[in-house]
Amino acid sequence: MIERWALVSGLKGDLETYEMIQSDLKKTRGVKTLFILGDMIGPERNCDALLNRLQNPRRGDLQPQCIYGWWEEQLLAEQGLRGEQKADALRLNQGEEAVTALLNAVNSTHLKWLASLQFGFIELDCGLIHGSSADIGDNLTSETSPLILIDRLTRLDVNRLFTAHSTEQFHLELTGGGLNSHVKDLNGESQYQQKVSKQSIIGIGAGEYYTIYDVGSDKTHFLSVGGQYNTKGKGFA
Amino acid sequence: MKHAVISCLHANLAAVKAVLKDIDQKGISDITCLGDLVGYGPQPNEVVDLIRERAIASCQGCWDEDIIEGLNACECSYPSQLAEKRGHLAHEWTAEQLTDINKDFLASLPTSIRRDRILFVHGSPNSQHEYLLPDMNAFAALERVDKAGADTLFCGHTHQPYVRELKNGSIRVRLQNTSNNNAEEKEINLPMRKIVNAGSVGEPRHGSTNATYVIHDDVTGEVEIKEVAYDIELTCQAIIDAGLPRIFAWRLSHGFEFAEQAEDASHVCER
Ligand SMILES: [Zn+2]
Ligand SMILES: [Zn+2]
Repeated sequence: MIERWALVSGLKGDLETYEMIQSDLKKTRGVKTLFILGDMIGPERNCDALLNRLQNPRRGDLQPQCIYGWWEEQLLAEQGLRGEQKADALRLNQGEEAVTALLNAVNSTHLKWLASLQFGFIELDCGLIHGSSADIGDNLTSETSPLILIDRLTRLDVNRLFTAHSTEQFHLELTGGGLNSHVKDLNGESQYQQKVSKQSIIGIGAGEYYTIYDVGSDKTHFLSVGGQYNTKGKGFA
Repeated sequence: MKHAVISCLHANLAAVKAVLKDIDQKGISDITCLGDLVGYGPQPNEVVDLIRERAIASCQGCWDEDIIEGLNACECSYPSQLAEKRGHLAHEWTAEQLTDINKDFLASLPTSIRRDRILFVHGSPNSQHEYLLPDMNAFAALERVDKAGADTLFCGHTHQPYVRELKNGSIRVRLQNTSNNNAEEKEINLPMRKIVNAGSVGEPRHGSTNATYVIHDDVTGEVEIKEVAYDIELTCQAIIDAGLPRIFAWRLSHGFEFAEQAEDASHVCER
């Protein structure tokens, strides 16, 4: 049986794009699950309509499974609902106006729901997270050192890590290699080689750029809104 | 030049004195301490005084941090509720004993000390509470040293001394993205790096009751792990006299803390 996941992030209140993705997904065979990896909100527009829709899907919508992202964390921190700090990262990067804009973009009735969202999902041997388990704002890209990527996979103890914060669409597979370890302690010396295990990091994109993951074949397909999903297509293995 | 690195003194004055004497006898004057000056042991002020007197450069350890910041460490630091309770007891006792001057001194300690391409930390460059065990995933271990911009990383916190060389590493990757239709393959060669754990002066957990520390030769790069016997009875009696949990004395005289081996030492405290 075909099982595909749709992975979406960075909608930032854009209900129109969300509706277009939903309508794309209706035409795509085998998509059983829709994961939204955070950044449902942002400062650029009012996010209430999208948040309403995510919490109360329309008939025919694929039920979204949401986790929180960098923007949600900033909002929750500013409202005192997460950690000790305020939205310091946002304030530092984009100034006070951005913080005010974010507060204005989300009606406080949504805070409870946003605060209830999880940091990530573990499905099969896949980790789905906005940045990584090291940091919600961890900017993993196709250029990130593979050492860091292995560290992030190891921390979550998964073989595949789906990440969104960088907004880039990529599939980086670790295919081989190793590292020698020579350890000396008071009992003597020992040596072994750790092999690179076959693992992947997948960047899912943001906004109108999203990803379909074929669970059975382990292939990712990078799409944009209105783009045709071609089941005969190569896909990226 | 040779220099000595000590860690995890844990308020055990007899052990600290014995180790410093051993280092002095070797004619080594350059000493770096990786923190945990206090905690568990019966002489927190005496040990901090001694380190200050001798002007030994020191990082802040997990205990030093907790004593100043208050005990907000998450429970992951302790393998069992019983161990946690004992830890809290030792924490309260130590916080009560320490003079304000010594508390200020612990508060002033840096979380890391850098000398060119050598970095000194208590746990890991990420956190004073992270354990870098000798069998940790080699790539993740290399990432800690490399990301910190060091060739050699000195750490403590595990109370088990070791020297780990990471070398001849490479990673092959295949990359697919929206701009390339055919996957791009590449191989990355990894740098050679070293992790040195200095063990523990005042709370050894490597299997013997001796205090441990390391000597580093910065010309040859060689590291020697040293064991020093000290008057354990003296410290054990002081623990009992101070009213600290007797198990701390029992541990020192048995040399292995099997009752409190962390169940998941690789767990990173996220607080
Ligand atoms: Zn220690
Ligand atoms: Zn420690």
